[in-house]
Amino acid sequence: MKKYLRTYGSLLPVIVFFSMLLVPSLSSGQASMEPLFEEGNTAYNEGDYNKAIALYEQTLKLGQHSAALYYNLGNAYYRLNNVAESIYYFEKAKRLNPKDSDIQINSAFARNMTIDAIEFLPESQLAQLKKRLFNSLSFNSWSILTVVLLWVFVGLFLGYLLFNSTQLKRSFFFSSLGVLLLFSWSFLITFSINQQEKNTQFAILFSNQIDIWSEPNQQGELLFTLHEGTKVQLLDDLEEWQKIRIANGSEGWIKNASLRALNETIIK
Amino acid sequence: MMRSHSIRILFCFLVLGALSLQGQVTFEAKVSKKRLGLNERLRVDFQMNENGDNFAPPAFADFQVVSGPQQAVSRSWVNGVQSFSKTYTYFLTPKKKGKLKLGQAEVTISGEVYKTSAVEIQVTEAVKKPNDPNNVDNIIDGNIHLVAEISKTNPYLNEGITVIYKLYFRNPISVSDVAELESPSYGDFWSHLIKIGRAEINMRGSYKGEPYNEVIWRKAVLYPQKTGKLTLEPLTLNLSLSVPSNRKDLFGRRILTQTQKIITTGKNVIRVKELPESNKPNDFSGAVGQFDFDVILDKYALKASESFQAKIKVNGKGNLKLFNLPTISVPNTLEVYEPEHDEKVKITLSGMQGSIEDNYTIVPQYQGKYPIPPVQFSYFDPKSATYKTLTSQDLIVDVFDGPTAGTSRNETTLSERKQVIETADNTFRFIKLNTKLSPIHQEIFWMSSRFWILLITPLFILLTGYLLKLFVLEKTEDVTTRKQRRAQQLAKKYLSSAKKVFNDQALFYEALERALHNYLKAKLKIETTEMSKSKIERLLVEKKVNKETALDYVAVIENCERARYAPGSSVNIEEDFEKASKLIATIDRQL
Repeated sequence: MKKYLRTYGSLLPVIVFFSMLLVPSLSSGQASMEPLFEEGNTAYNEGDYNKAIALYEQTLKLGQHSAALYYNLGNAYYRLNNVAESIYYFEKAKRLNPKDSDIQINSAFARNMTIDAIEFLPESQLAQLKKRLFNSLSFNSWSILTVVLLWVFVGLFLGYLLFNSTQLKRSFFFSSLGVLLLFSWSFLITFSINQQEKNTQFAILFSNQIDIWSEPNQQGELLFTLHEGTKVQLLDDLEEWQKIRIANGSEGWIKNASLRALNETIIK
Repeated sequence: MMRSHSIRILFCFLVLGALSLQGQVTFEAKVSKKRLGLNERLRVDFQMNENGDNFAPPAFADFQVVSGPQQAVSRSWVNGVQSFSKTYTYFLTPKKKGKLKLGQAEVTISGEVYKTSAVEIQVTEAVKKPNDPNNVDNIIDGNIHLVAEISKTNPYLNEGITVIYKLYFRNPISVSDVAELESPSYGDFWSHLIKIGRAEINMRGSYKGEPYNEVIWRKAVLYPQKTGKLTLEPLTLNLSLSVPSNRKDLFGRRILTQTQKIITTGKNVIRVKELPESNKPNDFSGAVGQFDFDVILDKYALKASESFQAKIKVNGKGNLKLFNLPTISVPNTLEVYEPEHDEKVKITLSGMQGSIEDNYTIVPQYQGKYPIPPVQFSYFDPKSATYKTLTSQDLIVDVFDGPTAGTSRNETTLSERKQVIETADNTFRFIKLNTKLSPIHQEIFWMSSRFWILLITPLFILLTGYLLKLFVLEKTEDVTTRKQRRAQQLAKKYLSSAKKVFNDQALFYEALERALHNYLKAKLKIETTEMSKSKIERLLVEKKVNKETALDYVAVIENCERARYAPGSSVNIEEDFEKASKLIATIDRQL
């Protein structure tokens, strides 16, 4: 028995080494920026929204962000009645923290300021459930969970292999199977979130007013007009034209629109 | 020349004859002129000094009879001498140019037929002043004018112009009545006629630098609605005029004759310029002039479900009635009703002036802040020939109190809107005071090399673990059972030595006993010298061997001893051997 442990124990340094690979991604680079954030909060509370925005954006420029930071920026822009910016930052905050109720509420206030009333397409129960499940963890957490589940599975399975007692062996085996199942779910969910992120690019419209055409040329039919602050999904582009879809499912082409993508990776 | 000369001579003779032969009958044709323009009139008098009958005028083949014959008879006695004359007068206009012949007229006087001599008339080109200045028509034409005064003959599209119709006349004409025969309809214009109560005569008007009486007959404000050459239809007036004639009354005053005169302005052409295409604002809706623009709210803060008014107002000068006001766009949760249009426009000679406005009634549904985006209004200023765009300032309506979005959540019409559901909670939240910042450009863990390392490593570990179990652990297991196996082998060896001497009872039992002893020695690590039956039993029990088995073991050993020292006793070699090997296996399992 002691000998079994000794042989398993020889693997421990390896495990520790690889766990170190995981850890830095979870906790790093949070420190010196918070004073800026707090100064911004003070400025906001004093009603100096422009200053608050400057301070918050400075933090962004230094390459740091958080849901709260975006949320506060959205609030400051809301106070200054900048509809598009306000919505943009609230949406960004939602991406980082989809469940926060403050963000939800204030973002709804900001959306009240937009000109266009766009009805949302009703979602099926299944789609809602799926969305809730996908949003229950951030993308990064999902991928970490996937890895952790695999490790747990391997640990359990090794337990099954190494222990001699039939009782222990049995419980190790079944729990490892369960964890393997969880792992494959988690992997699939993470994978589909990743695909979804890649394929759906959202942006906020910053142009005051823009016409939506049925074709990427002005011979097409003029479909409707959108105003700033509308969240659109980018589908395609052709020269200076971009194909978009809005929340009610309508699609069309816009020309030379001022759009700001919500997904950092797309921003040029 | 020769002929006219001879005529003149003949004429002289005739006159001389008439003088010398008093009482002689004369019948002659007199023409007012022998040389006249095509458009002039000719007066022909056929005069006789005795009353005659059956007057037959010549056939006026090349002339048209304008009037006549007029018969005039005059009788006079001068110094007891009676003179008589009877005249037939014709007014003729020539039909063609050239030398025309006026034929002979005939009359019967006292039974004799007299004829006038034929007269040749030279008809030339039409002359400008067909008749003498004393003629009525002539007087009228020179002294009365109808003019359309156009303020600008090349305006821009939709730029206002004015047309003033003025009637000029001067002495000696006076106008007694005016009737409009033809009124212009201003087809391609938006038109407005400015009412003029009574026509007033301005005695100090002037026309082409000369003093005239001036009457403004009509004023019209026009906004061209088409570009290009537009014709203004003429205004035609029928005037009743009093004109002094040549005749004079008893007191030497000229007698006024009443005549009708039709007078027209003629057609006027207005060239309307297109508005320039360059720099034309997108939201240009056709406003041309000088304007001011504003959006006015009557309330800036109100409770939800109260209403406020947004007024879009344009005032100034220009085609106010001819363009549409820009529309207001407001956030979607504000309910906007159709605007009320209000026009306060005066039309004067300088065009439309005043203001137009659209009044929107707006009802906010939920509390919150609603920005009213600036409204743009573009117009064309014809004075500077540029487009100008005015933008209203940003307005914010603050809706406080009253129903929040949440309370109307149950309304069926609104329940579908997502924002309604999401604003279920009361008020705008305060900022967050704590945060945990993280780098924006975080490496994406998913599918990164680290991710793959961390994913593959455990699988690798699993594989190693499996191999470890397969080879290393299996081997260590061998080591632990080696002694056991050696003991078995030993037992087997000892037993096999006993098996060799199966036929010799004494040797067999000796070998069997030794084998049993040796086995125990090897197993329990004890020396042979110490071996006693009771000790063996004790040792076996100590080693947790079944008591029965231990006793059996001891029994077998005893059996061996007995067989060794008492040969010939009934023993079963085969049975004992089986028993011994079974016991060794049993003890081995239990140890």
